[in-house]
Amino acid sequence: MKTVKGISILKSAGRKDICSRMGGLLKEYTFLAPAYIVFVFCIFIPVLRSFYLSFFDYGLLSYEAPQYIGLGNFLELTRDKVFWVSVINTAVYALGTVPVRMALGLLIALLLNEKLAVRSFYRTSYFMPVVTSMVAASIIWTLIFDAGNAGIANRFLSLFKQAPRGWLADSGLAMFSVIVMSIWKDLGYCMLIYLAGLQGIPPELYEAANIDGASSGQKLFHLTLPLLKPTTFFILTTQIISAFQVFTQTYVMTGGGPGYSTTTLINLLYMKGFQEYQMGYASALAVMLFVAILLLTMVQKWLFKADETIF
Amino acid sequence: MTTRNRYVQFFRLGGKHLALLGGALVMLLPFLWMLSTSLTPDSVIVNYSLIPKKLTLLNYVKAWSFSTRFDANVTLGTFIMNSVIITVLITGPGVIIDSLAGYVLARRNIPGKNILFNLALMTMMIPFYVFAVPLFLTARQFGWLDSFQGQIIPFLASGFGVFMFKQFFQEIPQELEDAACVDGCSLLRIYWNVMLPLAKPVVGTMVIFKAIWSWNLFFWPLLIINNIVYKPLSLALTMFRGMNVIQWGVLCAGMTIATLPIVIIYLSMQKSFQKGIMAGAVKG
Repeated sequence: MKTVKGISILKSAGRKDICSRMGGLLKEYTFLAPAYIVFVFCIFIPVLRSFYLSFFDYGLLSYEAPQYIGLGNFLELTRDKVFWVSVINTAVYALGTVPVRMALGLLIALLLNEKLAVRSFYRTSYFMPVVTSMVAASIIWTLIFDAGNAGIANRFLSLFKQAPRGWLADSGLAMFSVIVMSIWKDLGYCMLIYLAGLQGIPPELYEAANIDGASSGQKLFHLTLPLLKPTTFFILTTQIISAFQVFTQTYVMTGGGPGYSTTTLINLLYMKGFQEYQMGYASALAVMLFVAILLLTMVQKWLFKADETIF
Repeated sequence: MTTRNRYVQFFRLGGKHLALLGGALVMLLPFLWMLSTSLTPDSVIVNYSLIPKKLTLLNYVKAWSFSTRFDANVTLGTFIMNSVIITVLITGPGVIIDSLAGYVLARRNIPGKNILFNLALMTMMIPFYVFAVPLFLTARQFGWLDSFQGQIIPFLASGFGVFMFKQFFQEIPQELEDAACVDGCSLLRIYWNVMLPLAKPVVGTMVIFKAIWSWNLFFWPLLIINNIVYKPLSLALTMFRGMNVIQWGVLCAGMTIATLPIVIIYLSMQKSFQKGIMAGAVKG
């Protein structure tokens, strides 16, 4: 029988010998090929090309050939008022959404971590906004923030006898409205990650703390939060990186307005690259974004390594 | 436990539930409101309450054919079909492609294995917007504008998928593969008949992730699709928005249709979905 013969071959030869006869390197590379062809042609080469294009004045809509202008695009970016406005808007957005989302996510995760009835209903409800499309959510909230009297936000205000606001039409409030919507949208994600982190804490530690007579507050600040540091760093960095790239909400809800008050970095990239079709300029912006995010990732790695809790 | 303690416990629990319930309501209210608005006739909209006093399905009818003013053959159904095609063609082949790569990286000793794996990890860290411009130029060169292949091909492989499959396949005992080798299996057969069936949990997670992600794709189609016939649902919704007179009822009907499939899939698979996200975070 083949199998009996096989086992005796196994015993006599080394394991590696048998299996390496079966495929050959070519087959193995073929398995890798589809994925890596996509990676190379649709990711790596375009990334390199981004750097390359950023040194050119390349307008798709112009009749001239692309011209090498060295750092010209970067210089022009730094002189562009709208660029700096978008930097500030993006920063404001990040500062407004990330800490609040994380704090609320942590709070809810803490509440849900203990044995609670209908826990899974709560988890599902909080996570529901996360899975829906950002476009749909943006449109719903555009209606909620409608400047007229029918919008839910204004009706809510009228409950407190407050005058209706312009929300998305008000350049002072527009970013605030987008921030509120974004917190709502991804709150469940932070909650879920914190839940995972909380479940990684061995219950024996809490029992020991109880035996020592620790109060809830002490348990929270001296046990839970320090042990959650890795999770917090993970969420913080991933959330900030994705906050830098905010686009869909601002595009759908306000189109970057009123008057650039909700124009973010990617909104600008879209405007310059795909409405004005200035490929070089947009690429320079993309390169700056890449560098910024790279720095952020390195900072995270450094902070994370410096904070390994051993227990 | 003293009676007073019991009261305190009860109120603490009650307070917790109240807070959680209030929060959950805030999370769900926009969807409920969207649903109720979609069922409300236009005449009543300005004065309605959460539970509409008058019900109508007319909004859904209007929403279905709202795009016929642009092209008589295109209805909401067209957009849904487009999204389905794109989702299926990214998810199915995508999972296979990722698992093929993950398997080889996990079990076979090839030169450059580590470099290749790190490359896959790197793709996860590079934001899409960084290379969107050149990718657009590439798509233009290949004739992928206004097409399905343009919306699918760039997303067929994901670093995350390769990572997950590799981690999983690494844990499988060598004996299984050896037994298959000895029985004369080719590499392809080992992969297809042995490894892939074992990887059901990872396959499940990746299918859910990729499906929801591709259904909600917006930016890339926005860049390359102009022809209404190829637009996925996410783009079509913004067309709703662009219309001059915003008919809330119709708009909400369209959005309900757009969100419903995801909600249903999510509700039926929430456990595995949440598990997948939590697992990804722990490993990260």
